[in-house]
Amino acid sequence: MTPEELRETVARQFGRSLHIRTLDTGSCAVCEQEIRLLAAPHYDLNRLGFFFTPAPRHADLLLVTGPMIRAFAPAARKTYEAMPGPKIVVATGACALGGVYPSDPFTHGTVEAVLPVDVWIPGCPPSPLALLHGLGVAVGRLAERVRDLPFTAPDHPERTRGDS
Amino acid sequence: MTPLVFLYTAAAAWVAAALVGLLTARLPAGLLACCVLSALGGAAAAAGGGWSLVYGDTPVVSPGGPTVVGGPLQLQATSLAGVFTTLLGVVAVAIACYAPRYHPPSQGTSLYLAAYNGALLACLAVLAAGGMVTFLVAWETMSLACYLLILRHLRAEPVARGAFWFLALSEAGFLLVVAAFVILSSKTGFTTLAGIAAHAGSVPGGWRAAAFLLALAGFGFKAGLVPLHVWLPEAHPVAPADGSAFLSGVVVKLGIYGITLFAFRLAPPAGTWPGLVTMGAGAVTAAIGILYAMAERDIKRFLAFSTIENAGIIVTAFGAAMIFHAYRLQALWAFLLIAGIYHVANHGCYKTLLFLEAGVTEHATGTRDMDRLGGLIHRLPRSAVIAFAGTLGIAALPPLNGFVSEWLIFQGLFQGFRTGSHLTGILIVLAAGTLGLTGGLAIYAFVRGFGIPYLGMPRTRPAAAASEKGQPIVGPGLLAVACVALAVGAPIVLAALARAVRTVTGVTLGPLLLPGKLTVIPAHADFSAFSPTYLAVFLVCALAVPGLIYLAGRPRARSVSVPVWDGGMVSFRPRMQYSSMTFSAPTRVTFDALYRPSVSVTRPSDDDPAGRSGPVHYETQVTPVFQRYLYRPLVRCLEWLADLVRPIQSGDVNLYLLYVFAVILLAYFLGAV
Amino acid sequence: MTQWFLRGIRRGVVTTRYPARADKSARFLPTPPAFRPNTLTRQGADRLAAVCPSGALRREDSALIYDVGRCTACGRCAAEAPAAVTSSGEFELAVTVRSVLIKRIPLQGEPR
Repeated sequence: MTPEELRETVARQFGRSLHIRTLDTGSCAVCEQEIRLLAAPHYDLNRLGFFFTPAPRHADLLLVTGPMIRAFAPAARKTYEAMPGPKIVVATGACALGGVYPSDPFTHGTVEAVLPVDVWIPGCPPSPLALLHGLGVAVGRLAERVRDLPFTAPDHPERTRGDS
Repeated sequence: MTPLVFLYTAAAAWVAAALVGLLTARLPAGLLACCVLSALGGAAAAAGGGWSLVYGDTPVVSPGGPTVVGGPLQLQATSLAGVFTTLLGVVAVAIACYAPRYHPPSQGTSLYLAAYNGALLACLAVLAAGGMVTFLVAWETMSLACYLLILRHLRAEPVARGAFWFLALSEAGFLLVVAAFVILSSKTGFTTLAGIAAHAGSVPGGWRAAAFLLALAGFGFKAGLVPLHVWLPEAHPVAPADGSAFLSGVVVKLGIYGITLFAFRLAPPAGTWPGLVTMGAGAVTAAIGILYAMAERDIKRFLAFSTIENAGIIVTAFGAAMIFHAYRLQALWAFLLIAGIYHVANHGCYKTLLFLEAGVTEHATGTRDMDRLGGLIHRLPRSAVIAFAGTLGIAALPPLNGFVSEWLIFQGLFQGFRTGSHLTGILIVLAAGTLGLTGGLAIYAFVRGFGIPYLGMPRTRPAAAASEKGQPIVGPGLLAVACVALAVGAPIVLAALARAVRTVTGVTLGPLLLPGKLTVIPAHADFSAFSPTYLAVFLVCALAVPGLIYLAGRPRARSVSVPVWDGGMVSFRPRMQYSSMTFSAPTRVTFDALYRPSVSVTRPSDDDPAGRSGPVHYETQVTPVFQRYLYRPLVRCLEWLADLVRPIQSGDVNLYLLYVFAVILLAYFLGAV
Repeated sequence: MTQWFLRGIRRGVVTTRYPARADKSARFLPTPPAFRPNTLTRQGADRLAAVCPSGALRREDSALIYDVGRCTACGRCAAEAPAAVTSSGEFELAVTVRSVLIKRIPLQGEPR
């Protein structure tokens, strides 16, 4: 299946009904709080057709937080394998993307070391809006925007202090 | 050719088996010969029972004339007893196929087999008894033979206690049965059962009721009615597996046969209240039986309590039948009698099967404790399948036989509104509700009884090392086939039972029971209908259809096999599984007023409640309420009375001579007056 | 129960319309920084790289390599060089290719 076909299949199958299984591989739990807020009335991810499920057998998407501590890697692997295909892995939070603990001896540093990640959502913690955007990207409903963002700002109007 | 010919053949075969067993069972060939003869006797008994269902009642015969010691030997093969005889025969054949692989050839086995075949003979004599004396002598012989059966492994202490409970309660029951028979025969002037039945009109209503109550209690000891059931959980675990199977499968049914005799044939009591009492006793027995079964870890004690539950169900059906008779609803009277007897046959088959399989498990793993087993479905695959058939039957799940007979009983009970009396209707509905509770708990209990030992992972090393080599398969397998046959062939069985019941009740139930070829209706066409055969076929097809759809439209994608999802834990240990007590915990908590559990916790020290310095010991026990609050006070009372009377036995010869003198004087004066 | 119901009716719908419509509270979110290239010098870039606790900033020749994924929006780089760092205001940062999150900020200005 070509990537475009895969994307189309994913959008068709999961676009309106997606079951998410969260996995904490050793985070500080603030990402989990933001994820939990998604179910609250203000953000309400159920209106978009996304649902949380505790059983990986019923899940389509694995939402992983935390820097993948070494002791957890076999359990993460088992959770991933217990999900039936097609499945999507989303890594979210600075820890999962390789920051915060890049060289800690007790962690792998990044989720990618153990699981094949499809979507990355940065943030520390990622706000619920960022998570909603990331989930929309994962199912092909929303477009990625970072590619076109340069993360540069125009110069300060006063150039009196050119110091850095 | 009367059925008695078959019964004589069976008796002869069993006598021969007993002698052969006694003399030669020390050798494997002798053991096998004894079992072959026993099986032949069983086949003859089954044939005789089946034939007498069709033939009807034979006249009373006295082989040997009036010269037999103790009174004339009076035999009569009745249709009613035909079902029980068939059951006896089938159970005998199954146990005969099972015994060679279960018992080692030895001195103990030869005595055991002699006692067992003697018990078979005595049971046959009870069922074929045409006269009061024959019945009572055969009954007592059966009790004594079963007592010897239970004492097979005499050396262990619990064996002696279990056998003693059996004997003591059997004797208590026997006294009451003798009293009941004496009342009836003295009032009618006949000692043959047929004679008593024919002249039942000359027994006044009060005496009839008294005789019935005495019989209900006396036979209730044997049948296992609460609170007379106490011997069942004590005796069954300690007897060898085929002995327990025989006790539950046949001996308990003889108690029920006795109740049927007094409730339907000999001198049925008048009025509604005997039926209500019987139905109430049955319902209470059923509920209490299954509740106690939920708290048992020992497989055989669990099955013993389940026998009590089923006996309760059968007696409830009979009680309701008596109530319908009192309201002149003869069709329902006959219908519930048929339903009850059908349940007798079914229960005999699957309970025997389950006890035999419990014996196989005990031999393969060395333990009867459910919490030490697990995963036996992989180690004993064929035994597991057979045990599953028995479990499906006893849990009353379609399409097997337990479902059919319980459906019939429920349909009979649901028609309680036809009595027209509000109070009776409510009481019948209450009984039906209790049976419903019992049925639900039975499914729960047997999911536990099958799931904990057979499914999951083995909890101990002996369970993991169990092997099926050398274990008996044919015996239990025969009973599994019988279960399926009784279910699928229900219309045939019911037709035969309807004919048998006609001889007792005089009601022809044919078209009211089986209007179409394969449909069963509960005595009234406007109530409900059910076809066991079609149901069995439908269920098999219904299970096959998804299978066929899967095979036809198998997904094209490559499939991957991954381990069972266990929460991601790195290793899954057997101790993480349900244990038998945690599985039944919800019931035990809900009904703790009945169980009155006692809990004891011992810690290494009070300063360390978490048990870090040593193990914490937790023990919980179910209080044996009947033994503690009923039997022990009775025994104490008897001991007190005996103490009162003891001074008479002073040991002084002079005092004894004074007694002799006083009695002679008294006799002289009485004779003079 | 009645109070809850009436209060709810008065307040109206509080659910955000995101992603169909923009969310009004999004402007209060802490977001990763954006850099002003003309105010960044090589030494400045080195100092920023040293001060970032998450390893999101690294200087390579004449560019600041900025990994948006590793950024925790802690604000230390903004405290170190307030003229060169400002908040980007972007929170829709999900990507399907990891390397897209690694931005290259060109440096300018003479070393001092």
